[in-house]
Amino acid sequence: MNKILSIFSLIFLSIIYSGCKNRNNEVIVYCSVDQIFSEPVLKDFEQQTGIKVRPVYDTEETKSTGVLNRLIAEKDNPQCDVFWSGDPLRNNVLRLKGITTPYISNQTELIPRYFRANDNQWIGFSARARVLIFNKKLITMDSLPGSILDLIKPKYRGKFAMANPLFGTTTFHVAVLFTYLGEEQARQLLNNLKTNDIVIATSNGDVKKRVIQGEVAFGIADSDDAFEAKKESRDVDYIFLDQQKNGIGSLIIPNAVSLIKNSPHNENGKKLIDYLLTRETEIKLAKSCAQMPLIKDTEVPSGIPSLDDILPMKVDYDQTSQTLEKTQTWIKEWLEK
Amino acid sequence: MSSIQLNHITHSFNDKKVINDFTFTFDSGQTYCLLGPSGCGKTTILRLIAGLEVPQNGVIEIDGKIVTENDRLLIPPHKRGIGFVFQDLALWPHFSVFENIAFGLRESIREGSRKPDKGTKLYIEERVIQLLSFFGISDHWKKYPHQLSGGQKQMVAIARSLILNPKILLLDEPMANIDAQLKETIIDHLYTLHEQFGFTMIYVTHDHREAMHSNNTIIVLNKGEIITSGTREQIKNTTDVFTQSFIKL
Amino acid sequence: MVRKISKFLAKNILTIFLGCLLVIPVLVLLCNWISDFGNSAVSGLFKKDNLILIGKSFLLSGTASLLATSLGSVCGFILNKYTFAFKGFYKLVLLIPLLIPDYVYAVAWKDAWQLLFGAGTNINSYTTVIFVHILVFSPIAMLITGSAISQVNRGIEEAGLLMISFRKMLLKILIPIIRPSFTISFLLILIFSLSDFSVPAFFGVRTFTTEIFTQFSAFYNYQAAMGQSVFLLVICMILMFSESRYLSDAPFFAIHTKGSNPKLYNCDNLKFLLHSFLILQLLVAVILPVFILFFQSFSGSEFLLGKAWKLLSPTILQSSVLALSSAFIISVIGLWTSWLKEREKYKLPNTVLMILFIIPSTVLGIAIIGFFNKPVLNFIYASSLMIIIGYIGRFAFISARILGNGIRQIPLSLEEAATVAGIGSLRKYLKITLPLLIPSLFASFVLVFILCFGELGTTIMVYPPGTELMPVKFFTISANAPQALTSSMSLINFGIIISFIGTFYIIGRKVFKRFSYE
Repeated sequence: MNKILSIFSLIFLSIIYSGCKNRNNEVIVYCSVDQIFSEPVLKDFEQQTGIKVRPVYDTEETKSTGVLNRLIAEKDNPQCDVFWSGDPLRNNVLRLKGITTPYISNQTELIPRYFRANDNQWIGFSARARVLIFNKKLITMDSLPGSILDLIKPKYRGKFAMANPLFGTTTFHVAVLFTYLGEEQARQLLNNLKTNDIVIATSNGDVKKRVIQGEVAFGIADSDDAFEAKKESRDVDYIFLDQQKNGIGSLIIPNAVSLIKNSPHNENGKKLIDYLLTRETEIKLAKSCAQMPLIKDTEVPSGIPSLDDILPMKVDYDQTSQTLEKTQTWIKEWLEK
Repeated sequence: MSSIQLNHITHSFNDKKVINDFTFTFDSGQTYCLLGPSGCGKTTILRLIAGLEVPQNGVIEIDGKIVTENDRLLIPPHKRGIGFVFQDLALWPHFSVFENIAFGLRESIREGSRKPDKGTKLYIEERVIQLLSFFGISDHWKKYPHQLSGGQKQMVAIARSLILNPKILLLDEPMANIDAQLKETIIDHLYTLHEQFGFTMIYVTHDHREAMHSNNTIIVLNKGEIITSGTREQIKNTTDVFTQSFIKL
Repeated sequence: MVRKISKFLAKNILTIFLGCLLVIPVLVLLCNWISDFGNSAVSGLFKKDNLILIGKSFLLSGTASLLATSLGSVCGFILNKYTFAFKGFYKLVLLIPLLIPDYVYAVAWKDAWQLLFGAGTNINSYTTVIFVHILVFSPIAMLITGSAISQVNRGIEEAGLLMISFRKMLLKILIPIIRPSFTISFLLILIFSLSDFSVPAFFGVRTFTTEIFTQFSAFYNYQAAMGQSVFLLVICMILMFSESRYLSDAPFFAIHTKGSNPKLYNCDNLKFLLHSFLILQLLVAVILPVFILFFQSFSGSEFLLGKAWKLLSPTILQSSVLALSSAFIISVIGLWTSWLKEREKYKLPNTVLMILFIIPSTVLGIAIIGFFNKPVLNFIYASSLMIIIGYIGRFAFISARILGNGIRQIPLSLEEAATVAGIGSLRKYLKITLPLLIPSLFASFVLVFILCFGELGTTIMVYPPGTELMPVKFFTISANAPQALTSSMSLINFGIIISFIGTFYIIGRKVFKRFSYE
């Protein structure tokens, strides 16, 4: 009994000690980009700079309330230095709550103006695109819809899936559609999709899985999901929608990074942001998950799409964030119908 | 009144023989006392008669009917007409005193094995109150077992065993935790009831003074075998060494 | 004076400790919510849609709970009342659904269904959620009712068998005595089912809990989320308090005999039926989902078991150490709480633990972040203590319940004999009571360890940066990992827990043999 008590006392004390350790040479990053892609990048930063990275991972895809709610809850005594998100909407939420602070990196100018907040409270890098993943055994290339607006056609009834529009990049996509098409037309589109028996999956990963398994013929997801799907199954491929001459274009979703206001390791946080905005990082993310570099003339491996080859959707991120706030309640009701 | 015959009963627990070729006839309407040291098989014999255990070998007959034969239970316990007072009393904790006693009677009426000559509720009440009054505990009819003293619980347990007018009454060390005065009272009650109803009574004890007190036929057991049997006088005058030393203890 | 102070401290220090760790943070959060309360928040709570949603959630969870309790109780009865071959094996293996994260279970079962009946087969969502919850939670009922059944002294059944048939004895004597085990199983499973987010979300079923999560993570609407959490909390509290007051704590259900010596029955005519029933359940609840996980692990274009091991292995030590230390601390808290309740009749700590148990994991996470995230408390906030605090809130009630039952088994007379012999309170507790409680302590430790090892809801909110924990890593990696990798990770997760269970089983046999005193 005494031995057991001693062992547990030792463990307990070491846990407390871990909380008291002096931690000057480190940076804390809260990351909602899939750990499988983000972790190698952070480990490389650690190796190159000698600054210890202490990450908190999460994923917006599975609707966890971890990272973003933690940042909001920690507002008065921030623990985090850098927030790395898979889309700028999350960063914008924090910006509106006064949790982030502007930072102009020496790399900032390399990122097109279009992919950063006007006040530099978030900066974009390495982008994904919204794509259509399809199962080649269930639908041929010729029969695929060319535009997102084609999904309401009766021939596609019940054959396609989309992730829950309240979460993840699908939120962003739907908000952009509302901004682009206007409220009335966007609502009509969503209602018609419902009438056409759209399958609502829990996440982009779930869409990918359903397409691979043949539960649906095709689905809307992100380009990194499509990349993974192609690795998993030879029966799957993907296309970019709305690439016609006067088409609305495909939605480009950059990763976004923000510096947290009053963070404990501010200088190290800036160094991490600088690192994330380098060509080197963009090449790594291109190789691991087919994310498209935003920095011009960055070499990409073959098989990885380039932004130069895609007609992008024109997005005003600030306006999109505002639209999102107005439309979320309606989207929730649409989902529940 | 029922006779019980045990023929060549052998029974083991966890590969340990507790009853070894036991043969005995308990005559109808008589009283018997099984006496012996702890672990000699007294309780096991009661349990075998009641049908709560099934012997690996041997035959048990009640009133000439085979109830158990070589590891087969032919007549279940509730059809043998047996009343049993357990060593730890086994009062149902969720029933009141009244319900503990009335339960068996109520169920037998429900099954049709007993037909009261008046309304069921009244019949049951009368029978239970009769028993409670006999044992002097009628004031406690509403209480639950955990609210009773040791002696009171004992009397409830005995009353419960008698409610169905059993032909055989089996008592497993019923006086284990009772003071001497209360013991006398309960023993008197038991023999009064025995005279009144004539059931065959088998009483287990390890206390030789208790066994020698009454007019029972005493059976002395050791290691699952009968050492001696007889009346009080016969046992006192026995030449068997074990019996002599056990009685002298 | 000194004695009075020490007696006061002994009685109240636990309440003060729990208060500082968990109650005050939750109260602060509640006060903040109340101070920001608006009329719209109130009217929003009682909107028709909201009330219908909570009704539907209770119906779904109530159905799952009722069926899980029934199934688990039948298994508990069979495995604790009859003697037949492989009983021990069945007892162990039927616990496996508790060890697999319910989300993984849902995925495996859906894939199993589609493998058997085709990819396009439509699965009714509500039915499937109920089905998965039944399979995942019925082992809880099996454990609780099985334990209750094995504590009934054989004399009680035999006294009944002398008067009525076995079937009637079951209905009129045995079942009423073990009734509290049914109700607590039902309520625990109801709360687990109501608080579960992942399975309903996976099958696209809207429940009150998915609504709470949606408010938190899509709308960041704390007011609405907190309001709904409070609503759910109040209803669950009413249920738990009623159960506690009218059933579990009813005086005649206290069993005071140590060493219950339960009655076992032969089942010669029923052997085939019993084995068939248990094997069918094994097939549906264990073999099929585990087989699917294996199948999926090897079905991808690459063999990913090695990669899965590489991803998860850094988390094993940290998760194990944290779960072991938390299980130890929680068992101590559970022991202390149940002691105060059963012996000192002081129920406040137990009530506190019960309320904490019912609070949704996200609300608990936010409460403790808000309270402990202060510079002066950084030594707690920046350490794994935050996770341990979360675990205490989530699971200490279960430990207190198990140990409370254990304490009730010990006759007061044993302690009174020590008092009469002049032995002081602490010595009496350490030398008389504690040794008799070792089996219950061990059972509590093992169960809490399993629960802590797999806990995600609060952990993901509060784990300190740089900590690698298995459920978090599994969750974050599987979001966009190939199916084969997710399944491989599930198998590794499962294998590790099975190894711990195996070790505990071996230790447990020695512990129970040494400390059962029968």
